[in-house]
Amino acid sequence: MFYRLAGVRHTSYAADRALWPVPVDRWQIRALLALAVGAPFLLPDLYLTSYLLPWLVWSTAALGLNLLMGWAGQIHLGYAAVMAIGAYGAIHAVRLGIPFELALLGSGLLSAAIGLVFGFAALRVKGLYLAISTLAMQYLVDWIISHVPAISGGSQATLQAPAFRFLGVPVAGDWSRYYVALAVCVLVTSFLLNVGRTSFGRALAAVREKDFAAAVIGVNAFYFKLMAFWCSSFLGGVSGAVLAFCYYRAVTPEQFNLDVSIQAVAMVIVGGMGSVIGSYLGAALVLLAPIVLNNLVGAFARAAALPLHQEVLSHIPLILYGVLIVGFLLFEPLGLAKVYANIRNYFLVWPFRHARH
Amino acid sequence: MSGERAQPPPVLECRNVVRAFGGLKALKGISLQIEAGEIFGLVGPNGSGKTTLVNAVTGFYPPQQGCVLYRGGDITGMKPHRVARLGIARTFQNLALFRGMSVLDNILMGRHIHMRPSALATLFYWWWAQRDEVAQRRHVEEIVDFLQLESVRDEPIDVVPLGLQKRVELARALAAQPRFLILDEPMAGMNQEEKEYMARFILDVREAHGTTILLIEHHMDVVSSICDRVAVLSYGELIAEGRPKAVLSDPGVIAAYLGTTERHAA
Repeated sequence: MFYRLAGVRHTSYAADRALWPVPVDRWQIRALLALAVGAPFLLPDLYLTSYLLPWLVWSTAALGLNLLMGWAGQIHLGYAAVMAIGAYGAIHAVRLGIPFELALLGSGLLSAAIGLVFGFAALRVKGLYLAISTLAMQYLVDWIISHVPAISGGSQATLQAPAFRFLGVPVAGDWSRYYVALAVCVLVTSFLLNVGRTSFGRALAAVREKDFAAAVIGVNAFYFKLMAFWCSSFLGGVSGAVLAFCYYRAVTPEQFNLDVSIQAVAMVIVGGMGSVIGSYLGAALVLLAPIVLNNLVGAFARAAALPLHQEVLSHIPLILYGVLIVGFLLFEPLGLAKVYANIRNYFLVWPFRHARH
Repeated sequence: MSGERAQPPPVLECRNVVRAFGGLKALKGISLQIEAGEIFGLVGPNGSGKTTLVNAVTGFYPPQQGCVLYRGGDITGMKPHRVARLGIARTFQNLALFRGMSVLDNILMGRHIHMRPSALATLFYWWWAQRDEVAQRRHVEEIVDFLQLESVRDEPIDVVPLGLQKRVELARALAAQPRFLILDEPMAGMNQEEKEYMARFILDVREAHGTTILLIEHHMDVVSSICDRVAVLSYGELIAEGRPKAVLSDPGVIAAYLGTTERHAA
């Protein structure tokens, strides 16, 4: 009904590879972009800065991790460390007087370089061992940041993000910070969308699916795993810098500890491996679920007049959150992206019952 | 492009190739030559070392002794992805397609060595990668036409029936425009009609591109009808080589296949 395929004809190979061949998808994207650009006018500043902004930044980060986990099939448990390198790198760079745009790029390159060193060592092992090696990166980077005063600014220190300009415009208010985050997010999203249709993305997927079959058609598996590590670390570094500058406006080591890494992995898994929209949905769920569950449980306890202890009340949402993630792994391992695809497929053939794939 | 001119080096030459797995000697010194433009059959009972020989050639299990020459150049122990760049393509006995990709993407993957995949080109897709993608797509569509895969082009590979999957794997190998093609049991599990299609495709590939082909196959009717020469392996040794008719009626070969002990090559 909505997603009419009838009349969608391709007259060139370029058109056949369009990102959104179905007109309604294109309208959806236009509407979403318009909403995203207009959000500061539509939303109260509180919602803009405490919900929408972190969601965009975390979606950017999740996209970066998804490139590594979803496309190249390599797990990374130290992604927050990569983001920390980017955040600290960018803040120090801007403090030294380097323009923000260059600092952003530089923070990505720094993260990518350090990530590559770890990747070089870590990619010699697979699966669980790779997970442990990347975990080591998390601890190592955490430790170095908190023990080197030149980086962290001293023990227990918080580094304030200095004032900065983006493309010549001073970024001071909530609105401008939001637009910086949006710009980076759109750029990263368009990159990830294109990964789905270029030889680069295919090579990553080939390495993920069958490395020996990839090798036999000339794919250097190790090189592409490294490239995935490099790109993913680059995106992680950039999103870490954006997180520090636009959301926290300061940086401390605790913002990027192991919990955050696990959260990033949860975003990718719950959202859907190898899916762009999944990264958004996963980030939304992981960020919002604790808040929503908190409010729900609180409201329910009040409505039912249950004499629950405050301690119990604060732990129930955590339990439900855990149940949610386990539930996803059990019942929809392809994540929220698959749920979205199912709904879309349903409407693709509506009013008939059979979905195409 | 027929290879009947004055003595170019053989496309593939194995000299005394030895490969053992622990105590098991899978290849006990195999020497053979495959000339340009040939369809060379490699047969033998299960476990006789056919696939191991292919793996030794393509770099998966480098030979422990002996050497492998491709068009006169030494490729012994070269990594598989480097071997592929020399123009050697292969298919696998048990399908090795990329699940989660469409048929088209699987075949496009075969163009890998002719493309320059990079993250930067992906970022600037519209200005940088698109033209190359479209150019490669044109090659792929020729192969899709050639192997009659139009109807399944956009299907995910997992839902395509087995016989067609085998054909997609051949398409992926052909997409690389190989000069030497190794087919490891391309007809395993196929019915008579599918087998005939596949045999026709193999002949057409040589006809159209002058590709030299090494064919591992158990269906003797196919081997004897399309191969120019045949070699027989048994327990890691080459027990016969020559014209299909002569080789397949050789008592030693029949013994190796049917298990008669009297003329077992030691």
